[in-house]
Amino acid sequence: MSSVHVRDLKKSYGHAPVLHGISLDIEDGEFVILVGPSGCGKSTLLRMIAGLEGVTAGEIRIGSRVVNNVPPKERDIAMVFQNYALYPHMTVAENMAFSLVLKRASKAEITQKVQQAAAILGLETMLDRHPKELSGGQRQRVAMGRAIVRDPKVFLFDEPLSNLDAKLRVQMRSEIKALHQRLKTTTIYVTHDQIEAMTMADRIVVMRGGVMEQMGTPLDLYDQPANLFVASFIGSPAMNQIPGSIGAKGFVADTGHVLPLPTSAVAQIGRSAVYGIRPEHMTLEPSGMPVRVKTVEPTGSETLLLTELSGPQTSIDITAVFRGRVAAAPGDTIHLQPDMAMVHLFDKETGHRIMA
Amino acid sequence: MSGFNLYTRGDRIFGIANASLMLLFVLSTLYPFIYIVSASVSSGFAVSSGQVVLWPVDPTLAAYKHVLSDRMFWISYGNTLYYAIVGTLASLIIMVPGAFALSRPRLRGRRLITFLIAFTLWFHAGQIPFFLNIRDLGLLDTRIGIVLAFACNAFNVILLKSYFESIPASFEEAARMDGATDFQLLWKIFIPLAKPALATVTLLCLVTRWNGYFWAMVLLRSEEKIPLQVYLKKLIVDLKSDDGFASRLMTAEYSFETITAAIMVASLIPVVIVYPYIQKYFTKGMTLGGVKE
Ligand SMILES: Nc1ncnc2c1ncn2[C@@H]1O[C@H](COP(=O)(O)OP(=O)(O)OP(=O)(O)O)[C@@H](O)[C@H]1O
Ligand SMILES: [Mg+2]
Repeated sequence: MSSVHVRDLKKSYGHAPVLHGISLDIEDGEFVILVGPSGCGKSTLLRMIAGLEGVTAGEIRIGSRVVNNVPPKERDIAMVFQNYALYPHMTVAENMAFSLVLKRASKAEITQKVQQAAAILGLETMLDRHPKELSGGQRQRVAMGRAIVRDPKVFLFDEPLSNLDAKLRVQMRSEIKALHQRLKTTTIYVTHDQIEAMTMADRIVVMRGGVMEQMGTPLDLYDQPANLFVASFIGSPAMNQIPGSIGAKGFVADTGHVLPLPTSAVAQIGRSAVYGIRPEHMTLEPSGMPVRVKTVEPTGSETLLLTELSGPQTSIDITAVFRGRVAAAPGDTIHLQPDMAMVHLFDKETGHRIMA
Repeated sequence: MSGFNLYTRGDRIFGIANASLMLLFVLSTLYPFIYIVSASVSSGFAVSSGQVVLWPVDPTLAAYKHVLSDRMFWISYGNTLYYAIVGTLASLIIMVPGAFALSRPRLRGRRLITFLIAFTLWFHAGQIPFFLNIRDLGLLDTRIGIVLAFACNAFNVILLKSYFESIPASFEEAARMDGATDFQLLWKIFIPLAKPALATVTLLCLVTRWNGYFWAMVLLRSEEKIPLQVYLKKLIVDLKSDDGFASRLMTAEYSFETITAAIMVASLIPVVIVYPYIQKYFTKGMTLGGVKE
């Protein structure tokens, strides 16, 4: 086990910069998830830590050792690939044993470690099968087994669940989490599924366009998004964003409606801003803003309302979620009252968070 | 509506024409084979006088008896086996690592090298310079010369290279993470995964070596080193021009025609034995480079 430190890391392919200087410190035993939209550089960062991609500038340390020029096999890191990359010509046991065989471990040690990993992952009865004789979830487990037997300092996962169906994904999610709680190996995990990130991570790193937007615990990111991008990326359905400006009596939306603001915002009167409110932080009250219902999506336990706030010049889409059922139909006008304590304010130009 | 016949008249005519044409092809490749077998077990006189058309006439094993007691037959047969087996091994030892290296993007200058190799598919110096080259290397009339001169074949290298390239990069990456060296990567991952391509290339090498004739005839002088095909040629040409020998044979139960037929059959025996087992690779080889799991 080991900590991982990335200092001002840059990567370019030819002249195309992909990572623009990423710094993060991952503690020993931590489970850190990298999230971000497709193409933002998550895999690139992970593969640089693995040693599969060279470093253009900056520094990667594993524990106290700078590994910029250390080949993958000497980094003591195991990686689980998105497509698992199980060797098709080897059995499950051989797949798991491969790294140990290359290390010239003794037969007894190999058998013992493979058995142990198989027991952890429930693969005991499949050791003699070939990868093509396994289901997606089983292959996923073998890929993890291959990582476990090495007892590495760090586990890297690159979207390991994206090839599984929704149900299996939920199951494997908790299996991976349980595994981490058991082994306590430092883990860096890439996904673009924010639910996966929220439910599994100790800390989340949100990336966009080769830049780190924010790093924090899942609830930090939910409660205190550093900017509009994180605000819209974390949380589902996404946070509502209402452009306007800060006025004396509250937030004046571009539609002309006045929305409640905490008193601390008064200091910023006149500033152009974006008002952020999560769909789950609004109540139905006559004093709320009048919105016209466009669609109603009941899931049983919740009701999702897609609505529109209309002004003379513009109109803004607003999503609201309520526990239980709501008696509303498309075309109805309802009144949504934001919970003042849950309001976020962002600078209109920079997108940065304004209020603490 | 006249029914739900899936096949129109045109389809049926096409089908019949197609089948007849195929049958014609099969017969035209099969016939020489049958003729050779029949000739080898017919009497010399029957063959020389043109009585053998399809089936054996005056069946006799005399030609085989003669061939099997011929010292040169065994020597040249042994040579052919040597050239086929050692030559194929040498080819694989040279071409597999070469193709593997060429298939890795991190090899500098791989485009240029690949181009130069592919270039030889269409353009080469010609036979005289090639001969002079072999001569100046001191490889004339040596077994190793025959083995080395044809060990590397551009088509096969490119076939192997493409196949290695079609193997997903994540296998290499996984193996690197597992601690494999380049050599282990090739030996433990890529060679097992490239079995279909390797089988095809092995087969192509073996067949080319087995039938190799022209260069063996040009480069080898001593009888002790010539392969079966060259010996066969020698028999046909030399004996035919040797009137005395020919007439002596004519009177016997065998003629040089039945003898050459018997040698041809003998040279085909290993191929006929092995073919059923490797046949699938012939067809597989044609479709290589497709998707790999
Ligand atoms: N070998 C390469 N050569 C050139 N550009 C590359 C290479 N690999 C990645 N890139 C570019 O780097 C950027 C980041 O890619 P990366 O694979 O890290 O994204 P990602 O965040 O993992 O996306 P996804 O969620 O789709 O997997 C992309 O714009 C991609 O086009
Ligand atoms: Mg990726």
